[in-house]
Amino acid sequence: MNALGIVFSYSEHENLRELTKIRTLASVPFGGKYRIIDFLLSNYVNSGIHDISIITRNNFHSLTDHLGAGKEWDLTRKIGGLRILSPFSTPGISDHNGNYLGTIDALFKSMHSIKRSRADYVILTGSNIICSINYDDVLKRHIERNADITVVYTNPREGVVIPSDAALIRMDDKERVYELAYNKEDIIRQDTPMCLGMFVLRKSLLESLVADAIAYGRFDFYHDIIQRLCGNLNILGYEHKKIYFEISSVSGYMNENMKLLDENIRKQIFEKPVYTKVKDSVPAQYCIGSKVSNSIVSDGCKIEGTVINSILSRGVIIGKGAVVKNSIILQNTEIMRNVTLDNAILDKDVIVRENRQLVGHETYPVVIEKKSII
Amino acid sequence: MYYEKKKEMIAMLLAGGQGSRLGILTNHVAKPAVPFGGKYRIIDFTISNCVNSGIDTIGVLTQYRPLELNAYIGNGQPWDLDRLFGGITILPPYMKANAGEWYKGTANAIYQNIEYIEMNHPTYVLILSGDHIYKMNYQMMLEYHIEKNADCTIAVLNVPLEEASRFGVMNADETLKIYEFEEKPLQPKSTLASMGVYIFNWEKLKSYLVADEADKKSENDFGKNILPNMLEAGENMYAYEYKGYWKDVGTVESLWEANMDLLNPEVPIELNDPPWKIYSRNATLPPQYIGNNAKLNNVTISEGCSIDGEIENSIIFPGVTIKEGAAIRNSILMPGVTVGNHSTIEYTIIAADTVIGSNVCMGACAMPVEPGRHPEISVIGQGITIADGTVIPPGAMIGESILQKEGE
Repeated sequence: MNALGIVFSYSEHENLRELTKIRTLASVPFGGKYRIIDFLLSNYVNSGIHDISIITRNNFHSLTDHLGAGKEWDLTRKIGGLRILSPFSTPGISDHNGNYLGTIDALFKSMHSIKRSRADYVILTGSNIICSINYDDVLKRHIERNADITVVYTNPREGVVIPSDAALIRMDDKERVYELAYNKEDIIRQDTPMCLGMFVLRKSLLESLVADAIAYGRFDFYHDIIQRLCGNLNILGYEHKKIYFEISSVSGYMNENMKLLDENIRKQIFEKPVYTKVKDSVPAQYCIGSKVSNSIVSDGCKIEGTVINSILSRGVIIGKGAVVKNSIILQNTEIMRNVTLDNAILDKDVIVRENRQLVGHETYPVVIEKKSII
Repeated sequence: MYYEKKKEMIAMLLAGGQGSRLGILTNHVAKPAVPFGGKYRIIDFTISNCVNSGIDTIGVLTQYRPLELNAYIGNGQPWDLDRLFGGITILPPYMKANAGEWYKGTANAIYQNIEYIEMNHPTYVLILSGDHIYKMNYQMMLEYHIEKNADCTIAVLNVPLEEASRFGVMNADETLKIYEFEEKPLQPKSTLASMGVYIFNWEKLKSYLVADEADKKSENDFGKNILPNMLEAGENMYAYEYKGYWKDVGTVESLWEANMDLLNPEVPIELNDPPWKIYSRNATLPPQYIGNNAKLNNVTISEGCSIDGEIENSIIFPGVTIKEGAAIRNSILMPGVTVGNHSTIEYTIIAADTVIGSNVCMGACAMPVEPGRHPEISVIGQGITIADGTVIPPGAMIGESILQKEGE
């Protein structure tokens, strides 16, 4: 497909506490063995897009570590392939320390690379939405309906919270966007289409829109391009009807992970292959005396205790007599004998020693930082 | 400017055998490509041994049903063998100017690929077969070979005397210099059994291969011709004793046993060994889901599985679905198998993509088992369907779909 994918690996509106202290949003682990970036890249690759740039801001060490040369996503290519655009500063000339003034500024500072791509279209995405989407369909409709910009949106389902800082749009009956506003508090409403942070437009249009906005000192893509120009440009909505996950808070992170325990939701998210880094771990091992129910388990785990309603990343060890409930346990964490965990999120390489108890609440899970020993 | 390209040692991996003793398991694939150990194929062990021993040039000689094996190996990337110089190369038999023939024997297969070997200018050549399960450092064997100033070093295993007659047996002196070689002797004089792993000085081996090819009466086999000829000519041949776990998985019984060994903590084959990983081509599948009704006891399960039944002492490959009420014991379920509700499966190997209906009773269901012995292993072929309510006795080998319960 004739498009360049651009991923913003960070979000300006997230509060994932300890989880993003040591990593950028896109490399936050999700769904057992994945990182958020895996879902974003797989959408591109499954739609035939093999030219992808990732705009990074800070904390992106774990992201580059995860992606390597992009082999596992089939993105080690001569034409296109994966490019990580890191912020840079030239002493004395520009001394920005990785703090872009906004999304438009980030695009502007990455223009040297974007301009080089041979693609005619760009497909932008943020890192706070996980879904399975076919960009081929979005682009087809974008061209068919002669849109200037296509905005992917969703009609929030019953009971789904629209987080604050989400962009809400209003459209006419032909899905033409005529208004965009930021949500300012967590609300539950179904009549307000919410932006999913994915946009399709011609690359040449993006280049000129960015140059224009920068000239006027405007830096926010939603506000200064979509909202400001929706009267002049043909900005159309594209409804994403299937499940999506929104990651901006710790409790949201917990809830969205847990949704994967529903078979129907798993089918929607894993409709097409989701690629991730290969670790060559051994198959998961369930020892004599283990009890596991309603859980997701990744390769390399060794379970001797009890695991209920939980999600385990690769290489997690659960000792004899330990009881793990409603928890998310990330890579290579070890839970020793007779530990009790409930509503906890344990980051990578944590050790929880014998007989400890960690109990959080659904609305405020305990989060244990990477490499802690408890 | 020109750089000379040279490798110290390259490996030639014999992977052409059909493995007919595995019955319907090798109907669609060559033996080295048969799934093993929950996510691997048999050949992964030998390839990973090479890579972990620092060997980055491997020729894989294929002949029988090579398609799946070729696709599996691909460019060798999963084993880190996508190299600028070297890497893994599939070597099927090919046509020459005015001839062209199948590989007549193990030695002939190497003979036909002399050109490939010469391209890499190796000093030593390691000959391997792709149908054994073991972890071995070939670099240590090479050091031994060099230290002994040998022309040929043969890796051997100390086996019980009563089993030695199944192997090529080395009779060696106290320095492990071999003075006699017997292929499957009725009355073995030694317990040093050949593992089919040889290191040769390449120039020496080449001359014997050429001479052997000229001998019209030869069977062109390493064990029957090359090794005895070298011994007779007084070449320096040494045995190299290997002491770890090694298993030939040439029969249904031994394939089942070797899989079960992985579940037995007493058996010294640990796959979770970060410095000596066994690499394999990964299926891109979501993590496994364990349902509310699952009971798992001494089981390994891979990616993409969805498990809601009871499983004991079994190996479950990627993408397997086991529905509620199903019971699996002492069995091996290869990739993509589905087992319906309330089916019982015991002592069975089920090949890839087979669909088992509901209320099926397979293998030794609820039969009393004598301690230390087990019922015969049943084998269900690849990509077939077994209808609801079917009963399959122990030791059966089913290669065709059973679409209707008997008597209906």
